[in-house]
Amino acid sequence: MKILETQELTREFPGVVALDSVNFDLEEGEIHALVGENGAGKSTLVKVLAGVYKPTKGKFLFKGKDMHFHSPKDAAEYIGVVHQERELVPHFTGYQNLFLGLEESKGGFLRKKRMMEKARQFMEKYHLSVDFSLPANELGSAQQEMLTILKVLFRNPGIIIFDEPTAPLNIEESKILFSLIRELKERGMTIVYISHHLSEVLELSDRITVLRNGKVVTTLKNESLDEDKLITLMISKELKNQYPKYETAIGKELLSVSNYTCKRMGLKDVSFRIRAGEIVGFAGLDGSGRTELAQAFFTGAHSEGGSITLNEKPFLSKSPGQSIAEGLIMIPEKRRAEGLLVELSVRENLALSNLSCLSRYGFVMSGKVNEYVNRAISRFSIKVSSPLQRVGTLSGGNQQKVSVGKWMEKDAAIWIFNEPTQGIDVDAKTEIYRIMGDIAGRGAGVWFISSDLRELMAISDRIYVMKGFRIVSEFLPPYADEKILSAMLGGTNNDR
Amino acid sequence: MIDNKRNFQGILTKYGTLIALGLIFLFFSVSVSGFVNPRNLINIIRQIALLAIIAEGFTMCLIVGELDLSFANVASLTGVIVAGLIFSGVNPFLAVIITLFIGAAFGFGAGLLVTKVGIPSLITTLATGIIATGFIYAYTKGVSLYGDMPETFLSLGRGSIGPIPVLVIIMALIVIIAHVFINNMKAGKYLQATGSNRTATRLAGINTDVYVILALTLSSLAAAFTGILLTSKLGAANPEGASGYMMDTFAAALLGQTVLNVGRGSPFGTFVGALMIGILNNGMTLAGAPYYMQDITKGTIIILSVTITSIQAKRLATK
Repeated sequence: MKILETQELTREFPGVVALDSVNFDLEEGEIHALVGENGAGKSTLVKVLAGVYKPTKGKFLFKGKDMHFHSPKDAAEYIGVVHQERELVPHFTGYQNLFLGLEESKGGFLRKKRMMEKARQFMEKYHLSVDFSLPANELGSAQQEMLTILKVLFRNPGIIIFDEPTAPLNIEESKILFSLIRELKERGMTIVYISHHLSEVLELSDRITVLRNGKVVTTLKNESLDEDKLITLMISKELKNQYPKYETAIGKELLSVSNYTCKRMGLKDVSFRIRAGEIVGFAGLDGSGRTELAQAFFTGAHSEGGSITLNEKPFLSKSPGQSIAEGLIMIPEKRRAEGLLVELSVRENLALSNLSCLSRYGFVMSGKVNEYVNRAISRFSIKVSSPLQRVGTLSGGNQQKVSVGKWMEKDAAIWIFNEPTQGIDVDAKTEIYRIMGDIAGRGAGVWFISSDLRELMAISDRIYVMKGFRIVSEFLPPYADEKILSAMLGGTNNDR
Repeated sequence: MIDNKRNFQGILTKYGTLIALGLIFLFFSVSVSGFVNPRNLINIIRQIALLAIIAEGFTMCLIVGELDLSFANVASLTGVIVAGLIFSGVNPFLAVIITLFIGAAFGFGAGLLVTKVGIPSLITTLATGIIATGFIYAYTKGVSLYGDMPETFLSLGRGSIGPIPVLVIIMALIVIIAHVFINNMKAGKYLQATGSNRTATRLAGINTDVYVILALTLSSLAAAFTGILLTSKLGAANPEGASGYMMDTFAAALLGQTVLNVGRGSPFGTFVGALMIGILNNGMTLAGAPYYMQDITKGTIIILSVTITSIQAKRLATK
C-alpha cells in the first residue's frame, strides 16, 4: 500500500526551480533511498514533505489524503525528519528534549518523574540506551544522534526521513544506526534514507529514487543496481553551450601551496597551485573542507607547517584586509549573509570595498562613486532599476554580480569564487562563467569552488578533489565524471 | 488599486513620523495658547539642544549595531569633572579638553571590551556606566558642586549670538557634522556597513572592530560634551545631573529610526525624534498636563516607533 504519494510536486525559488514536477511514492514499510548530486533537490523535497516549505505547485497525499502543512510542527505526527543538524536544545537533558513542546504538567508544574518514566519506557521499546539525565551537549555524537531519532519517533510519525544520518558517526556507530533503521522497518515504519554514501544506500534500501536538477530520473528496485550504475544515473548529460569556455594562455604560478597544515581549521597537508589565466576547480562534498580551505586563506589562519607563496611572495593572511592588499579576494558562498549588505543600495554595496580610492581627506567623492558604480553595472550587465535600488530586492544572479562587481578594480592575483552559481538561474550562471573567464583572460587565477560537477568540468582547466579536509586527487581534462565523483564519494566512512 | 494602496502605505511609512510631527505641532498651536510665539519656539529648540547632542552620539551606536547604556552616567560624570577642574583653577579651555578626553576614554575602553574580549555592548556599557556613577560619588560624596565659573565657560550654555542661543548653534553644528559623517565620509560609510552586515563588511576587507570602537567612543564623546554644556548651563554640577537624558535619548533615537529610511538609525532622524520629544514636553507642560503624562506619552512613543520599525523589517524580509 502506498503511504505517501507526491503528484507533480514543484517548488520554485526566485530564479530557480528546486523541485520540478516530482512524482514519487513510498510503499508502507519500505526503506526508500534518495540519491543525487548536491543541489539535485533532495533537501528541498524533504523540506516540502516536512512542512518547512510550501509547494509552489502540486500536492502530496498521505494514505490517500491531501496534506497541507503550515509548519514542521503540523507535519511531525505524519512525517518525522532526522535532520543533518541535530535539533536538540543543548542544555536540556534527554527527557526534556524528548518532551520538548509536549511537556506533561499538572496545575502548571512539570510532572518530571512521570515524564522520565515514560521516556525510559519509550526508549526500552527500541532497545536503546541514552543517558536521559545528562544535558544533550554532554552526550557523545552517537548518543546525540539516538536522542534525535528518539525525539522524532516520540511524535509517532508514519514516515521517518533520515538526512545524511551517518555524517557525524564512525563505523561502529553507523552499524548501530543501521540495525535501528532495520528494526524500525520491521515494526512497520516507512523510512526515507538520504545519503551521499552509495554503499550505505545499497546496503539498506529496498528502492532507490535518483534525483537530478530537481527532477526524478528514475525509481528502481535495489537488486538491479550497483554503485557505478547509480553514479551514471546521477550525472546528467547536458548541452555544453551553457558553459562558455575561453582558451586563455596559462602563465606563471601565482599561488603555490605545499603541505599547508592548520589544525584549528582541520586542514592537513594541503598542496596545490594556481597559475595565471587558469580556472582551477575544487570539487568535494559538503564538509570536505573546500570552504574551510578558502576561508583559511582569505580571512586569516595560522600555519602549522608547509608554505604558501602568492605572487612570488610568502603569504599568510591575518585578515581579509591583508589578503585583499596582497592580491587575494573572495566572493563568499553565502551571498546574502556574507557577500552583501542586503538592506543597502546597489551603489553602496559596489562602492564599499573601494571607498579608499573613491574618497579624499576622508570624504566620499560622490561623482567618482557614481562613475565607478556605472562602470561596474555596465561591465557586468547588472540589471537594476536604479543604482539606488536595494540589493535585497535583486534576483540571485544580479546579487551575485554585485558581489563580484565590488572587486572589479582590485588588481588581484587570485579570485576565489565559492559556489558562485548557487541558487541562480541558467542565464545568470552563464554570465557568471563569462565573468570568470574574463578574469582569467586578464591574467589572474580563478579558484573555483562548486558542488555542481558539470560546471566544474565544463570551465575548469584543472580540478582538485577534496575529501576529509585534504586534497585527495587532481584531474586534468578530458574529465571523466565517474572518476571525479567516485573520488568525492569514494570508500565509506573508514578514512574519517 | 492595490498598487495605489501600496504606494500610500509606502508614503505613510516613509513620511509618517514627519507627518505626525506636523500634526502634533499643529495640535499644540491650536489648543495651547502661547505655544507658537517665537520666544517659545526658540525655547523648545534650546530645551532639546543637549538631548539632540547626546542622542546623536547614541545614534552612532545604533547605526553600528551596538548599544550604549552608559552615556547618561558618563555625561553626569564629565559634568562633575569639568566643574571640579574649573573650581580647582584649571584653565576652562583646558578643563573642557581634559574632560572630553576622559569621556571618550570610557567609550574607547568599552569598545575594546566589546571587540577584543567579546562582551556584549549591553553588558559592557551597563558596567562602565555603573563605574562612572561610582566615580561621581567617590568625587562628590553625593553633593552638588557650586562655585564661581568664568564667564567664557558659562557663555557656552547660557550665552546667545543675536537671538540664537549658543547651545542651539552648537547643536546645529553637531547634527550637521553627524549627518555629513554618516552620509559623506568614508569612516561613516564603514560604520554604517558594519551595522548592516558585520560579516560581509569584514569580508570586504574592512576592520569592523575599529568602527565598533569608534561608535562607542563617539557616543561617550557626545555624552561628555553634553555633560560639559549641562554644567555650563546650570553653573553647577549635580551628581545625577544627566540621568534624565537616558529615556529621552532612547525615545529620540528609536523614533529617529522611523524617519525616512525605516529601520535605520540616522543623525537626521534622531534630530527629528529629539524635536518631537521637545515639542511634546513643552506643549504638555504649557497645557498644564501632569508630569507623569509626559512619561506615559514617551513610553508609548518608544513602543509605537519600535512597532513601526519591526513591521517594516518584516515587510522587507518577506519581499
